[in-house]
Amino acid sequence: MADESPKPVATIPRTSRPMSEALLNEKWDRCLSSLLIRSGLGLSFGIVFSVLLFKRRAWPAFVGLGFGAGRAWEECDNSFKRAAAPSKDGLRVIRP
Amino acid sequence: MLRASISRARPALRSVAPVAAPQWRLAPRFFADKKNLDETVIPQTDPLTTPSNPGTPASPILPPRDLNTAPAPPPRSPHVAAPSASRSAPVEQPATTPPTGPGSASVAPDPKPPKKKRRLFRTLVWLTILSALGYGGGVWYSLVSDNFHDFFTEYIPFGEDAVGYFEEREFRKRFPGRAGTPRSLSALPGTSQQVTIPGNAGLGARPVPAGETAEKSPHMSAVESKPKEAKTVVEPKADKAAEVKKEEPKKEVVAAPEPVAAKPIAQIDHLSVPNAEDPVVQDVVKIVNDLITMVNADPVHGSKYNSALEKAKSELGKVVSDINLMKDNLKKSAEDEIKAAHTQFDAAARELVNRLEVQMHEQELHWKEEYENERENLSQSYKDKLQSELDIAKKVYEQRLKNELLEQSALLQKQFTQAVRDRVESEREGRLGKLNELSSSVHELEQLTAEWNSVVDANLKTQHLVVAVEAVKSSLENQITPKPFITELAALKEIADDDPVVSAAIASINPAAYQRGIPNAGQLVDRFRRVAQEVRKAALLPEDAGVASHLASLAMSKVTFKKSGLAVGQDVEAVLARTEVLLEEGDLDGAAREMNSLQGWAKVLSKDWLSDCRRVLEVRQALDVITTEARLQTLLVD
Repeated sequence: MADESPKPVATIPRTSRPMSEALLNEKWDRCLSSLLIRSGLGLSFGIVFSVLLFKRRAWPAFVGLGFGAGRAWEECDNSFKRAAAPSKDGLRVIRP
Repeated sequence: MLRASISRARPALRSVAPVAAPQWRLAPRFFADKKNLDETVIPQTDPLTTPSNPGTPASPILPPRDLNTAPAPPPRSPHVAAPSASRSAPVEQPATTPPTGPGSASVAPDPKPPKKKRRLFRTLVWLTILSALGYGGGVWYSLVSDNFHDFFTEYIPFGEDAVGYFEEREFRKRFPGRAGTPRSLSALPGTSQQVTIPGNAGLGARPVPAGETAEKSPHMSAVESKPKEAKTVVEPKADKAAEVKKEEPKKEVVAAPEPVAAKPIAQIDHLSVPNAEDPVVQDVVKIVNDLITMVNADPVHGSKYNSALEKAKSELGKVVSDINLMKDNLKKSAEDEIKAAHTQFDAAARELVNRLEVQMHEQELHWKEEYENERENLSQSYKDKLQSELDIAKKVYEQRLKNELLEQSALLQKQFTQAVRDRVESEREGRLGKLNELSSSVHELEQLTAEWNSVVDANLKTQHLVVAVEAVKSSLENQITPKPFITELAALKEIADDDPVVSAAIASINPAAYQRGIPNAGQLVDRFRRVAQEVRKAALLPEDAGVASHLASLAMSKVTFKKSGLAVGQDVEAVLARTEVLLEEGDLDGAAREMNSLQGWAKVLSKDWLSDCRRVLEVRQALDVITTEARLQTLLVD
């Protein structure tokens, strides 16, 4: 059994659809990447703003970073929250 | 159209009309001619006989008168005849006619008046000349013109006779053949004109044929020369009587000889032969009579011939009597001969009859014999026939009897065999029943064997099924990675031979299972371990967790204690521990149930594993069902 196990490990990930146990990890990956991108964007924007408008002050850069990180956080949070509940895609919601 | 047709028709009519017209014109002409001919002919028929007679009889009498009394009239008669003859076709006729001219006869008495007075005579002469001329002219014109002919013949006395005479002459000239016979007669007398006497002086009962008269003519002429002389002598006495009788010459001819013969001398009687029936005798008698009459008429030489005549008469009488005698003799001899012939004939007839009778008798006998023979033959043949028919009938009867006997024997045999069979059957019945039982038992055995065969077959089938199921199971357990097992399932289905249970079991399997294959137990456990790690990460997450709670649970999951064994509790860690235990025990069903009881993110994370578990469970269940089915079949077969 121990000998045979490595092979299936190698084969199973080949499936097109992501495995259910890898869902959370994937979400974490997306969140981190988006955090990086958005915080970096916010930082860069803040830096530009601080240079252009705020006479090279540091806080516009941080604010920008905060905006970016906050935006990424929000997004990540939203994705986690939505993923927890069973997906309602293709279902018709009847409101009273 | 109509006009055209009429115009076309008209020529025909025109052509017809002219044709018809001449016919009409011609027809009357023909008719008129014919009428003339008829008119001429009809009078001729009478004159044919009448004038010829008056011509001829008048001539013998007249010439004497002419000789005696009036030589003058003859020249007148030519006068009268001349104009008619000269103007009509024949001119030379008058030369011959004078002797026949009867008109002159009437003139004959005229010579008497001149003796009286000259004046009267002159007037009379003139009158006669004129009347004769007028008469002649009338006759001539009547010959030319039809109308005048009618008038002349009707109103002028003797006109018809005169005209008829000339017409007849003309007719005779035209057709000499038709009037040949009277002419020849009249022509012969031309030379000797007194031939008419013998024709009338017939003693015989028969009319004398013309040939005979011709033969006799010389005799007659010879004889008649005498009467003429006699007449010339005798006539003065009978002159007036003869003259009176001139108008009817026929009577004169008949009457003349008799008085002439009677008057002078009645010395010689006419030969009278009472039995003269033969024509020859009659002729002879007639000749003799003629001679006698001649002799009688001649008073001068009469006495000379008397003796000779008497002798001749007597001899003739003798001859006649001899003839009669001969006739009688002949008659007698003929009668005798006839009698002899009769007798001979009778004898011959009798002989013939006798012969015939004998023949008939013989024939009768012959026929009788034949009849007898025939009868015997017939009776014999009939007897034979009867005998043969009787024999045949007897034979038939015997045959029938034999047949009946045979039938009876056959029937008896049948009955006997039937009885024997019945008895044997009844005796055999018990043993046969046992045999039947045995056979039935054998049959049952055969059936049993057949059933056993079927059972064996069914067992084989189930065995096959079991083997197939085992094969599927082994293939599923022995696989390293999940492989599709469609072929195995198809083989199983085939072997199951469309078993409803098997097919239903196979249908219950998710198609994804046998298309992609299912993981075996080890693979499931391995995957469960990875799933358990992930589930532990999300084990502490609250409902509707955000990023912060996720981070917290991630961090907390590193530090929490792991439970092991059959942990009590509904938290994720306990469930995982129990599932692990159950998996290790091999209770896949229980493990799946435990995992299914998870909530939230833990369940979401373990979803795939759960579905895998379910597939495997389905397959297992189906295979279990098939194996139980096979087992059930094996059980059912028994």
